[in-house]
Amino acid sequence: MKLSLKQQIVAACACVCSGAALADAALEKAMQDPGNWAAQAGDNYNQRYSTLNQITAENAAKLQVAWTFSTGVLRGHEGSPLVIGDMMYIHTPFPNNVFALDLKTHEIVWKYEPKQDSSVVAQMCCDTVYRGLAFGDDKIFLQRADSTLEALDAKTGKVLWSVVNGDPKLGAVATNAPHVFGDKVITGVSGGEWGVRGHLTAYDLKTGKLAWRAYSTGPDAEMLMDPDKTMTWTDGKLAPVGKDSSLKTWKGDQWKIGGGTTWGWYSYDKELNLVYYGTGNPSTWNPSQRPGDNKWSMTIMARDLNTGIAKWVYQMTPHDEWDFDGVNEMILADIDVKGTKTKALVHFDRNGFAYTMDRVTGALLVAEKYDPVVNWATHVDMKTGRPQVVAQYSTAQNGPDVNTKGICPAALGTKDQQPAAFHPKTGLFYVPTNHVCMDYEPFEVEYTAGQPYVGATLAMYPAPNSHGGMGNFIAWDAGTGKIAWSKPERFSVWSGALTTAGDVIFYGTLEGYIKAVNLADGKELWKFKTPSGIIGNVFTYLHGGKQYVGVYSGIGGWAGIGMAAGLEKDADGLGAVGGYRDLQKFTALGGSLTVFAVPE
Amino acid sequence: MKGVFYFSLAALMVSVAVPATALSDSSSGKALYTVKDGYKVDPDTMQGFRTWRAAACDRCHGPNQEGMVGPSLLEGLKVLSAEEFKTTVLAGRLDKGMPSFGENPRVSEHIDQLYAYLKGRSDGAITRAKVEQMEK
Repeated sequence: MKLSLKQQIVAACACVCSGAALADAALEKAMQDPGNWAAQAGDNYNQRYSTLNQITAENAAKLQVAWTFSTGVLRGHEGSPLVIGDMMYIHTPFPNNVFALDLKTHEIVWKYEPKQDSSVVAQMCCDTVYRGLAFGDDKIFLQRADSTLEALDAKTGKVLWSVVNGDPKLGAVATNAPHVFGDKVITGVSGGEWGVRGHLTAYDLKTGKLAWRAYSTGPDAEMLMDPDKTMTWTDGKLAPVGKDSSLKTWKGDQWKIGGGTTWGWYSYDKELNLVYYGTGNPSTWNPSQRPGDNKWSMTIMARDLNTGIAKWVYQMTPHDEWDFDGVNEMILADIDVKGTKTKALVHFDRNGFAYTMDRVTGALLVAEKYDPVVNWATHVDMKTGRPQVVAQYSTAQNGPDVNTKGICPAALGTKDQQPAAFHPKTGLFYVPTNHVCMDYEPFEVEYTAGQPYVGATLAMYPAPNSHGGMGNFIAWDAGTGKIAWSKPERFSVWSGALTTAGDVIFYGTLEGYIKAVNLADGKELWKFKTPSGIIGNVFTYLHGGKQYVGVYSGIGGWAGIGMAAGLEKDADGLGAVGGYRDLQKFTALGGSLTVFAVPE
Repeated sequence: MKGVFYFSLAALMVSVAVPATALSDSSSGKALYTVKDGYKVDPDTMQGFRTWRAAACDRCHGPNQEGMVGPSLLEGLKVLSAEEFKTTVLAGRLDKGMPSFGENPRVSEHIDQLYAYLKGRSDGAITRAKVEQMEK
């Protein structure tokens, strides 16, 4: 059945315009109990804030290990477990095993080991990471690496339905956590380095039936864009995107292999019924091969949950020249922006700018550097919304086979997927960041289906003329676009932060420390060395009336890889001492969960 | 690690030869690679470098072949024979995360050149990852 976009909108409205989406009762109930950690960010706003307050700035120094669990899998452990009532749900990187643990007895109630073709491992760009499970409708949702999405019975682990979301043979693999919003489960794809055409896809929670799929590039109908109603920031105001807004910005049919993948953390405003997420880099990494703005890669998207139709879009990095994927989490918070109480969306982009948008309309409010070393653009022009690129650092202007040196940040961004947290008391955001720069040399590549389609060689190193470390943990004022405080770290902070009503902030480090710092000034209150480097996200829950804090350790991911990439800039790659070798002095592979509590 | 020792010795001998070095492929007698000043190479070896880049081998093996999530090829090619190398690249080692490049004509058609480039790197005769084509 072929419907025009207008017909689709009419059809969709016939069913849903009378009200907001149906919320899932099980998830809603689970989320309302602050003792649970029922979603990867704790809530749908990606705030990563818990109202639990037993662990405080006063007693955090007394935190001790309460219990541990080995996942039995090596490689990078991202995301966090979920806690619903007496059950904890633990996931692993590929092969994406799931454990359901009884928190009373620590007994494994059920275990699920999906059977996946191991060839998928080779298709994954940046280690075999997986960012976690979702809960809803008494089901656990598992997004497997091979792009299959499965619904498991939360009580038994039995597979209730299963749906193929992409073809791993073409490079469409998955690392993202699925997200349950309303009566849908939403998931994305990876594979921007394989020429995969990104999309966000919604399935019916109960049946797995496809509800909608919205591509990041291509014709309006396939992108679920309404030329007249989908708005974007243009010339200092919001204006409709117009017809073929994506097609016009690509040469020929390059949009078909144009990337814009969707492997980040999504958020949802129930009142507005909008889903927010970002799209990744355009393929290839060689910009000269794909002239144009390459819309809508590198874009913040706001879509209606029921129909998938885009309400507003904003492209942060038109015609990417540095692999600054726009997938990082969209945090929804009601904050003061330049004196006005605002329903804001705050996003810390790979490109080194932190964006504050009006999440209702899509208006651009603030765009400022959240690391002073960012140099590829002088600023974002607030009228056009476009970054003002510095010619010296333009890999497109310098051209293929020229090594553009000293670009800050590096491709892994001032921040990658490691999610930031918000604290309502201060109104500030607490952001794990990278402090890494790069040399970038693009070169001509040809597309072959199912094969890498990269087209650039990179060398990354700690930001020069700074503190020598590769990371910072910062507090950010999104209303003014200023750093409130910054705490240097030896390595990239690749762990999701947690804020709590006890006025303590937690995060992990690549050496393997979990740290508790003071909300007011970032002063370190406590740290503990876990078995391996931490790239997972800190989470908290209540059990038996007691507050626990936990985190996965298990070094890997692009952090581990990125460290190695090109640190050895000498001729033969032997003998030089770089950041990664430094990291090897502190940690080795191994996946485990460590859970802490303050003893009685 | 005996083999490594001998090959290292060979590499040392190769790298001190000036001005141009050609390592013979024993079966055909044709030079496997020719290198001048450590980075100016013959057209076939240059093609091997282009193949290395096009297939994005650096994402796992490191921009200088020193190894990252994948093993160091500087070390690996001291141990692997040419035939073993070709089998590994074309068939992959799927359980270890090494993809098969047999279906990729850019790699399969240039597998000998790729080997020549990487062998030159492993031998220490090619002293940096980025090479240039030597002038005639």
